[in-house]
Amino acid sequence: MADLVEKSPARRPHLLRTLLQNPVTVKELRSRMRGRRAFVVLTVYLLLMSGFITVLYGLYATAAAQPYGPEARQAGKTVFGAVLGIQVLLVIFIGPSFTAGAISGEKERQTYNLLRTTLLSAHALVAGKLISALSYVLLLILAAIPLQSIAFLLGGISLIELVIAALLIFVSAIAFALLGLFFSSLMRSTLAASVTTFAASLLLTLGGPALALVMLPIGSTILSGRTLAPIVEVLLAYGGLSLAATNLPATIVLSEVFLLQEDAIFFFTNTINGYTVLFFSPWFVYLILYTFLSLILYWLTVRRVRRIPKK
Amino acid sequence: MANNIIEIQGLTKLYDGLTALDDLTLSVEEGAVVGFIGPNGAGKTTTMRILTTLLQPTRGQAWVAGHEVTREPKAVRRVIGYMPDFFGVYEDMKVWEYLDFFGACYDLPPAARTAMIDDLLALVDLGHKKGAFVDSLSRGMKQRLCLARTLTHDPQVLILDEPASGLDPRARIEMRELLRELKQMGKTIFFSSHILSEVADICTSIAILEAGRLVAYGDMEEMKKQLRAHRLIEVRIMGDLEPLQEILLHTEAVGAIMAGVEAELPPDTVRFDFSGDDQALSRLLARMVAGEIPVISFSEETGDLEDVFLHATRGIIN
Repeated sequence: MADLVEKSPARRPHLLRTLLQNPVTVKELRSRMRGRRAFVVLTVYLLLMSGFITVLYGLYATAAAQPYGPEARQAGKTVFGAVLGIQVLLVIFIGPSFTAGAISGEKERQTYNLLRTTLLSAHALVAGKLISALSYVLLLILAAIPLQSIAFLLGGISLIELVIAALLIFVSAIAFALLGLFFSSLMRSTLAASVTTFAASLLLTLGGPALALVMLPIGSTILSGRTLAPIVEVLLAYGGLSLAATNLPATIVLSEVFLLQEDAIFFFTNTINGYTVLFFSPWFVYLILYTFLSLILYWLTVRRVRRIPKK
Repeated sequence: MANNIIEIQGLTKLYDGLTALDDLTLSVEEGAVVGFIGPNGAGKTTTMRILTTLLQPTRGQAWVAGHEVTREPKAVRRVIGYMPDFFGVYEDMKVWEYLDFFGACYDLPPAARTAMIDDLLALVDLGHKKGAFVDSLSRGMKQRLCLARTLTHDPQVLILDEPASGLDPRARIEMRELLRELKQMGKTIFFSSHILSEVADICTSIAILEAGRLVAYGDMEEMKKQLRAHRLIEVRIMGDLEPLQEILLHTEAVGAIMAGVEAELPPDTVRFDFSGDDQALSRLLARMVAGEIPVISFSEETGDLEDVFLHATRGIIN
């Protein structure tokens, strides 16, 4: 058996195969999908979403004058927005709840030390926990695609809107799941990790809008009647956009506005006091920011798991 | 360090000013079975956690199979199998899945894991429980499964923290038999226990830890010989104990004298430490008879591990 252990590092399997054969992923998925719980959650989730969309569609259908007129397109947009809204809540609050207990749960069950004395690397442990949690969240998102496709039937949604929304949801799912995993590696109890993760998710979601709500009236009072230098105006516009790009709901709404009003997918130009200024669409900035945040959280979690404690 | 598979030098661990381990130095030969004994809080688990790369020492160094534990943790993990004092349970996991998971954690290929699972379950006599959920096993079975887990990668050294703790007598005997089998397989076993009879039965050496300090370490038989330097003699007489105590007080080779209810002895019995040889002992008995002490019995207590432990820790406990 010892020979087998020593031979194995020479094998260099494909990255995807390595991720799927990760022992932690296999174990977690096996446990999660065993029994009725996972299927009951999926069924209830789809039933609730179907009910919600049926009500929305019914409201528009009764008010619509013609089957494929402007009302139907509006209904399509509303259905798409509703499904997206539910997915946003799912990745911000439900996804991290799966990962918040991933490492702290091992500590509580007293299995963490068993894992740490094996040859399982900190990378493999963190990646395994992340992939298994994301797999279930992605299953919930993918299962809702047939419902989301009703929006296409009604019209009003372009392919680019769908792609941007999918990218935002995917990157957010990873970032928020890693947020949970990071706090899970930091804390001893799942309760503490869950509460901290929920608070951090809430701060990331509501912190930006709350700051904007406080700053806007103050800024308006200070700046009222004054003529601002073009550079200050540009900086204020950039600041506002950057703040919006830290927040998923704000990013989705603003990106949609820029897409419809400016026909801007990646960026658009605007004229401020005679100067032409380039603005990036918030979704693009959001993806860069949250990818960077994900990398930092992953690195910090691996570092935390790898270290040999002093206490 | 040639034949030493575990080498510990000046290992010290401080927790917020409290000394859990104080300058521990010891070495374990390959193939030895070392019983690590001491009361709760003596530093046994701390030592084991350092050796298994789970804890950083404050000072000192430790090597397992030539690998320094803080600098080469992965190499150390490859050669050790660790069983903590608490069995960590994964819910919704079957016995074979549990071993398969840990086999995968040790990079064993799937085909090798299938054979390994059957072999190990046969070794720990759990073959009939292969498809059962871990949660449904009795404590003794869980302990045996945990021991099987430590063997998934066929390690050279087994570090077992209280392997028989909380087990009923039958499960304890089964665990002892398993350890004996592993000893015959040539494994070096470093295990802690506070059940001294258990340690005495299977170990080749013992290390006694008290308040973070190593108070005795050596070959089991050597330790008993050391004890013989302080023979424990028990005398039962008829009548008053005072004349006997008078004789003992005036005998140079007699050490501590214990008598009566205070020493938890019957009212007609005196027990004392004796540092002389057999001739001196014979002369002492003759003096008792000459002094008309009505001796009923005169015997030497055979030293067991409990005596070694008590002698080693005397003073520190006080």
